[in-house]
Amino acid sequence: MSGKTWSLFWGSNFVRAPLQNGVGRYVQQLQRITFKFCKTHGGSKGMRAEDVDSGTCSSRTFHIEMAREYIEKELVGFARDNPGVVVYVKPRRHRSPCLKAEYLNGGEEYMSTQNHTCEDVHKWVAYLRGRSGYPTERIRKYQHTDHPSIQGVWTPWTHRHPAINIKDYPCEELSAAPQTEPTATHRLLELYERQKQQQQQQQQQQEQEAAKSSAA
Amino acid sequence: MWHLFDGQWQNPLDAADKIVPYLDGSNKPIFHPLNDSGDHVVLINARDIALPGTEWEKRVYFHHTGYARGATWTLAWQLHEIDPTMIMRKAVYNKLSKNLLRHGRMARLHIFPDDKVPDSILDNISAQIRQQRPVPTRLDHYPQEQVDSFPKIFDWPKDHIIN
Repeated sequence: MSGKTWSLFWGSNFVRAPLQNGVGRYVQQLQRITFKFCKTHGGSKGMRAEDVDSGTCSSRTFHIEMAREYIEKELVGFARDNPGVVVYVKPRRHRSPCLKAEYLNGGEEYMSTQNHTCEDVHKWVAYLRGRSGYPTERIRKYQHTDHPSIQGVWTPWTHRHPAINIKDYPCEELSAAPQTEPTATHRLLELYERQKQQQQQQQQQQEQEAAKSSAA
Repeated sequence: MWHLFDGQWQNPLDAADKIVPYLDGSNKPIFHPLNDSGDHVVLINARDIALPGTEWEKRVYFHHTGYARGATWTLAWQLHEIDPTMIMRKAVYNKLSKNLLRHGRMARLHIFPDDKVPDSILDNISAQIRQQRPVPTRLDHYPQEQVDSFPKIFDWPKDHIIN
């Protein structure tokens, strides 16, 4: 099993760019792209260049009328927008069309464009242009950072009260379930206390009235 | 990191739910299935767990030796008499996710029938897991003065037999 096949199924990596490409400056990783196609075959329709001398063959006129799209319409614009990319156009008879991309790191990417439409070819070319040249891998995690935290990495002691450092275990205070509402015993004691206070107040009032009446 | 859990008067089935995240590490913000971030949990007073309702009589633990007629059905109270840690251990074992990591996670759970824990283990403990239900105080555990001073409507006659 080649390393490429192995990494296709079991390999994984984080999202990365070669030499932090794109941070500050961007170096075009795609160096060469070759459009291989057939001038006459239907499979090259989306990519094929216009045949200047329209032939006598009816099938050929059919292809001429159909979209001979990418090379004729968009390739020049692509080459103009990407001066760092060398563009080859390689017609060859009766072979299915393909794209061959070569990258700065020596990586190569081949893909068949048999029966692709012009829009498909346009998207695949944009995809190849954005590739780094390294083989695609499964992303191990959907998030990654070189600087995990400015505040500091989480530890089991983060946001813990330092008082627990000097506790002796087992600790009743840390273990007891939180009381959400007073128990029946607590309520009973509260009632009792309230009753006692009321009785005391009544006694005081009676004493005051008695004192007033005696004074009068 | 070592945690302590007091099983006194706790429902083992609910307590297992609470303990499992500590064992597999899913209580941590750095949790990831591929990293091994579980903690140790020391469970004390496993003898004093409280099964709800009629579970002590109705709950049955099945075991099969693998031989013919090797099946046994043990009631919870019988199992608890044989091994007071077993109900708690089985509750946690059944709540853990069923994969190859389960035995390793169970090995991080240390269950003791009472509160006698070796110092070598107790020294490691740096946190305590909160209980889920309040531990009731028995009448004979209150100080006698508090019982006497508790408000009451009437006194029982001397010759009254309550039970």
